[in-house]
Amino acid sequence: MSTLALRWVHRNLFAKPFDAALSLVIIPLLAWAAYAFAHWALIDAHWQVVGGSFKVLMTGIYPADQLWRAWVSVAILCAMFGAGLGLSLRPGRTALASVGLVGILIAAAVAAAIDLHSGMLTAASAVIGIAAWIGAYRPAANQRIVMSGLLAGVVAIFVVLSPPGFEVWGGLLLSVVLTIAVSILTLPFGILLALGRQSRIASLRVISTAYIETMRSVPLILVVYWIWIIVPLLAPDTSVPGLLRGMAGFALFFAAYVAEYVRSGLQAVPRGQIEAARSLAMSSWTLNVDIVLPQALRVVVPSLVGQILDIFNGATLVFIIGLTDFLRAGQMILADPQNSSRTYEIYVFLFAVYLAIGGAITYASRRLEAHLARGSR
Amino acid sequence: MSTEIAEYHSIPPARRGLLIASKWLVQAAIVIVVAGLVIWLGLAVREALARKGIQFSFGYLGHGANFSLSEGVVPSFVGGWPVLESFSPSHSNLQALFAGLWNSLKVALSAIVLCTMFGTLVGIGRLSTNWLVRNLCFGLVEAVRNTPLLIQIVFWYFAVVLRFPPANAASNWFGGLLASRSGVFLPGLAISERAGAASWGLLAAAFALLVACVVLGGSRPRLILLAAAISALIAAALVGFPLGLDLPVATRFGARGGFSISPEMTALLVAIVVNSSAYVAEIVRGAIEALPKGQWEASASLGLSRSHTLRDIILPQVFRIVLPSLANRYISLTKDTSLGIAIGFPDLFNVYGTVSNQTGRNLEGVVIVMLTYLALSWIISACVNGINARVNGRRAR
Repeated sequence: MSTLALRWVHRNLFAKPFDAALSLVIIPLLAWAAYAFAHWALIDAHWQVVGGSFKVLMTGIYPADQLWRAWVSVAILCAMFGAGLGLSLRPGRTALASVGLVGILIAAAVAAAIDLHSGMLTAASAVIGIAAWIGAYRPAANQRIVMSGLLAGVVAIFVVLSPPGFEVWGGLLLSVVLTIAVSILTLPFGILLALGRQSRIASLRVISTAYIETMRSVPLILVVYWIWIIVPLLAPDTSVPGLLRGMAGFALFFAAYVAEYVRSGLQAVPRGQIEAARSLAMSSWTLNVDIVLPQALRVVVPSLVGQILDIFNGATLVFIIGLTDFLRAGQMILADPQNSSRTYEIYVFLFAVYLAIGGAITYASRRLEAHLARGSR
Repeated sequence: MSTEIAEYHSIPPARRGLLIASKWLVQAAIVIVVAGLVIWLGLAVREALARKGIQFSFGYLGHGANFSLSEGVVPSFVGGWPVLESFSPSHSNLQALFAGLWNSLKVALSAIVLCTMFGTLVGIGRLSTNWLVRNLCFGLVEAVRNTPLLIQIVFWYFAVVLRFPPANAASNWFGGLLASRSGVFLPGLAISERAGAASWGLLAAAFALLVACVVLGGSRPRLILLAAAISALIAAALVGFPLGLDLPVATRFGARGGFSISPEMTALLVAIVVNSSAYVAEIVRGAIEALPKGQWEASASLGLSRSHTLRDIILPQVFRIVLPSLANRYISLTKDTSLGIAIGFPDLFNVYGTVSNQTGRNLEGVVIVMLTYLALSWIISACVNGINARVNGRRAR
């Protein structure tokens, strides 16, 4: 055993003089950094600030007596994630066990940070998610049902959460709901733009290309801010909530990116497929909807999942239109004078949560890519 | 194309005219609908603004700005000579926007240079034979790419730069770099008094020779030009070098001397460089892995070491492949400078926000800012395309 370890160390750390020198510099530095971080995290840090402001971090200023609505939407979200997983990943024993373990760990952390009640509700949401995963895994047969189920889920979340008013939405819940709603809104618009860019009608092609290229060369924050400013000017009599205006800005911006992904998928569809469909006298509509798009979208699913991460990361920009997302909620807590010395605790927590969610999305995207690559061989 | 012709000829002539007419009708209908939509949007916004007493015009650009920016320079005329001076509230709105653009470009250009160098290093590190280096680079790339840029910027500003010691106790790095919460100070270039016209002339000559050396082709003339440039530099130094190093010094009332960078710019620049380096690293790694394995094997069989192979065989080819991806990264990076508003950095978007809040002219402002960003994107891709054509054209020759 020890000879194996020695051989590993030799091959991976001290194979060449240069490698050995690098290792000798890095190992002490790394050990010092790890020790310093561990010392801070376990002894110096006051993690109570995270537990004490958990509600603000997760839901912003959502009224405390309406929190059951947030819990219902968390359950719906878990069910949607489960169903989404079920579309591509088989609920094997190891996969189920690891997801279950993560669920138990999160529930335990929540129970320790806030109270047992919230921990139980988290665990229940995880169970719902796993059940949805197992329920949704039926290859191909009920894909359409799951798809419409996901749409219904988004609508249900909006219906459940909206009664106290859109202004009070905040925290991580706002970030996640915004991301999911925008991801779904961009799809039809992006597909239409991609088809427009590939169209045989010249005017449509020019207009779509101009839109896509313009959106891709201006910053997201400018688009979001401008839509937010301009909607009240266009509709002076009705007051559109800031959240919906923000969502419109995000959707208009990211649709251009979706269009480019879809276009790359459209180009991957073999020309013979289109010619064959034409020779069967299919109309353009049938050709696109039944022949081209299913094949094109299948190729770009990993990119589209990766795009969800871009939207989630971009969702931090809603501070510009006065919404309180996860990052902004953390900053609001730090603005409280009694928490002002807890900068590192809050930022490390925010960073860890963002990294966990972002890492999960990236992992899903890579798994899907591998899955599809295997299927096409 | 061939299918279209075949279709076309299979249609009887009577229907052919109808088909062409309907095609034109569709075209016209689309153009009319979209143009109508855009015109309606413009008119509706204009009307809404008119109701508030604001007419669509760019005249406001000449009015006084009446707000101050923490940094930024503007072009103006002093006694008929164009000079750059720092922005003050008496300047016009247009000059304020220019100062914002200047600040954005300052960050973007420095970040482009730094992230290319740093990103290439990290990308090579991802393929290192040393397990620790490989995984550290992997961890850095994943941590940066999976978290929002905004939290990185805010973190660097509030948790790092603002935690630096105060200016009178600035931490001193190797005598040349001072870090304090009122900014970072680097050694700057200063004009020394004892320089004569001869040394300035020699310095200018050396610079011109260097430019000629880069522009001209052929290795022999280049070598001669380089030697001439170096000897001109040495001569300039002997006569009395016109430029001296100005080291920053920490005093009781803050640091002075040298070249200072504001804390906002420091945080934004560091955040964008670290963020973009992760993406550049992935681009470089992908390109190295995409090269045929035969390249490595061939140079190994010639007895070249791994580092030699990387430097002389692999990297020159990699830079040809990565140029288009790098252009995309540079464009995103330039757009990312707009996030400086979160930490109060007066970039173009921030200044646009201030100006349109003060004057209520969102429509005119957004047109200017959008066109500016469009122009920046085009300039960056044109530059990189130019380099690409040059580099890849030489290979074809």
